[in-house]
Amino acid sequence: MPEIYIDNKRYEFEKPGKVLQFMLDKGLDLPFFCYHPSLSIPANCRQCVVKAGMPVFDREKKVFEIDDEGNRVIRYFPKLMTACSLDLADGLVIHTHETDELVKEAQADNLEFILINHPLDCPICDQAGECPLQILTYKYGPEGSRFEHKKVHKPKAIQLGPRVILDAERCINCTRCVRFTDEISKTYQLTIISRGDKNYPTTANGREFDDPYSLNTVDICPVGALTSADFRFKARVWEMNQTPSVDITNGKGCSTWLWTRDNLVLRVTPRFNEAVNDHWMPDAGRLAYRKFNENRISRPHLRPDDAGQVRTSWNNAQLTLQEELEKVTADEILVIGSPHASVEDNYALRTYFGNLGVSRFRFLPHTEPGTGDGFLISDDQAPNTNGVKGLGFDEIDEKSLIKLIETGKPKIIAILDDDLLGRTALTEEHLASSWMIVWGTNHNDTTRAANLVVPVTTAAEHAASYVNVDGRIQRTVPAKETLYTNRRLNLEMSMGRLDHYGTKFDNWVSDANRIDCIPAWEFFTRMKSDSDTIAWESSRQIMEDIAGTFPVFREVSYDRMDEENGIQLKLEQDSEVKPA
Amino acid sequence: MAETYTFTAKDLKEIEKITAKYPDKLSAVLPALWYAQDKFGHSDPSVQQLVAKTLGVPEAHIRGVVSFYTQFYEKPMGRNVLDVCTCLSCQVSGGYDMLHYIEEKLGIKAGETTPDGEFSVQSVECLGACGYAPMLQVTNDKFVNHLTREKVDKLIEDLRAGKKPDFESNPMPQHEKGS
Ligand code: SF4
Ligand code: FES
Repeated sequence: MPEIYIDNKRYEFEKPGKVLQFMLDKGLDLPFFCYHPSLSIPANCRQCVVKAGMPVFDREKKVFEIDDEGNRVIRYFPKLMTACSLDLADGLVIHTHETDELVKEAQADNLEFILINHPLDCPICDQAGECPLQILTYKYGPEGSRFEHKKVHKPKAIQLGPRVILDAERCINCTRCVRFTDEISKTYQLTIISRGDKNYPTTANGREFDDPYSLNTVDICPVGALTSADFRFKARVWEMNQTPSVDITNGKGCSTWLWTRDNLVLRVTPRFNEAVNDHWMPDAGRLAYRKFNENRISRPHLRPDDAGQVRTSWNNAQLTLQEELEKVTADEILVIGSPHASVEDNYALRTYFGNLGVSRFRFLPHTEPGTGDGFLISDDQAPNTNGVKGLGFDEIDEKSLIKLIETGKPKIIAILDDDLLGRTALTEEHLASSWMIVWGTNHNDTTRAANLVVPVTTAAEHAASYVNVDGRIQRTVPAKETLYTNRRLNLEMSMGRLDHYGTKFDNWVSDANRIDCIPAWEFFTRMKSDSDTIAWESSRQIMEDIAGTFPVFREVSYDRMDEENGIQLKLEQDSEVKPA
Repeated sequence: MAETYTFTAKDLKEIEKITAKYPDKLSAVLPALWYAQDKFGHSDPSVQQLVAKTLGVPEAHIRGVVSFYTQFYEKPMGRNVLDVCTCLSCQVSGGYDMLHYIEEKLGIKAGETTPDGEFSVQSVECLGACGYAPMLQVTNDKFVNHLTREKVDKLIEDLRAGKKPDFESNPMPQHEKGS
């Protein structure tokens, strides 16, 4: 197998590739800025330089030349080479800062150059704490600067587009953002203008940077030059917790990170997942932080008469549903599952009402044809359409749903988190003769029209699975505490620096943002039931049940989803679905 | 931004001839911009937009190219553009003195245009004539070398009268016969 020597250590490589990527894959350290594994390689920052050479081969004797000490004679490139653009080659010898003084000096000198016009305003910069320039300067940079002149000034706080703000002075002109719009989002909206120490990225004259993927440039910018208009000045990164999750605003279900502080989701960023979204996600998905924080339903809401809803206790909510159920027969109940809710919650809904003898399980897909782009935005507006389908809920369209309610006049309508009144032509009049219960996360037209509203957790508060448009099942991890969960007790929740060491006297610690809600499945376990199929203690257990019941979900488990970053389901098994 | 500039059928044919020479559209950007600037006198944002549309290349890219070269004018300029070199060799031979003299004489600063639209002055980087420093270039054309105040006075007088400078041959010492 071809071999390469890095700092006198031998490595073997199978596939062709570049030296820098090879080193990163092997966990070796080398500073770099402009290189990005998913973009082209311009080698313009010059931070990744190494000393490189090849063994001298005697073509006549067909042997490597050997020196007096018995080592191969190496012929080095006359200048240092950029590792990001240097191809792996059999016999290649690389020296990094670990074994070569020149490389070490070059790295420090390059950083000194890069920092010449950099404002060094880390104390007020959003990027501080997760800034490659800051980190690499600590590790490899010079002790100080020898530059005694006035720095070049450039535009600051420029609103490049609705979501992205540019500070041109911080830019190191790595062109990652430009390459992103040229190679990934293909809107070609950015360019580097001017030259020398005056250049910085911007749009064409009078054009907005309104790329639907624009915020990815903020993620990949190795400095604080591009910042998010929404997240700017909201929090320091080291004060936040970072929890893996899934985008629930779109059928594609990009893998995400939720960043929380004091139980508020402050930003959503993409999490690398080769099978779904690579390093990227659409801007729209990042707005989900508002859904998690704002307009939340806290405590059950009951409408005792026509006057309006009042808050009530959990006990009363359960008793009220029990009473209403006792008044009707199973065929007078219409149960509507939700492509917006998780597999587990839909399954719990189905199991609970199935035990009561209900056989009508419907759901209304939420697609907006023409809004998809074939990349990371799908027509499907819901994260779990395939999941509800896989659980045997019957797909129904808007017209048939309204007709079903108008003609069937169900006495009880049970809706799992889905704003049907808001997104369809269904109105309160249609529902006038029914008693309606809604499990909801946020106040909306549907919850306002309900007789009983049960507040349930969002994807930011529960562990639950969603099946994306391509049939990949992925799960969330609780990021935000509810009134009933506790970071220190729930081992799955991430603990940030503040959670470990913060006291109640810290600025950022309060309990104000914990919502009084529970996962929908938990509500069903609290209901009185003749059956023991509803004795779940966690959503993990529910998934075990589901995997044992539905062929589509066979072999799905939380452990596997965690290990493999989601599991591809074989959806064609749809037809074999056997009812629970 | 209103599109106030258009190419005629003849222009389009010329530009097609340019693009036909290259394997891809991006390579035609420079010659196409030259063509447009020759026609309109500058490459302001609406000209950039026109060129981008005509060639089918991103507008942002055209802006990047235009702003990179001082030879492309991002805004309308005077009839004569004096590109005074203030890069190293000219700087040490009095390039800034020449620039400031011109600025004073015309009553404008580098980057500005005289109210009568006759002259624009720019301070530019190396034009590759270090051997004849200090020097300037007139409207992307002739170089005027070994500048002195007298030479500048005469140049401006001539240009006012519509007389362009002639090509000056400056043989390098090693090329001079008999030396
Ligand atoms: S703004 Fe950021 S990503 Fe774009 S060129 Fe500058 S440093 Fe690179
Ligand atoms: S990473 Fe920028 S030159 Fe290699």
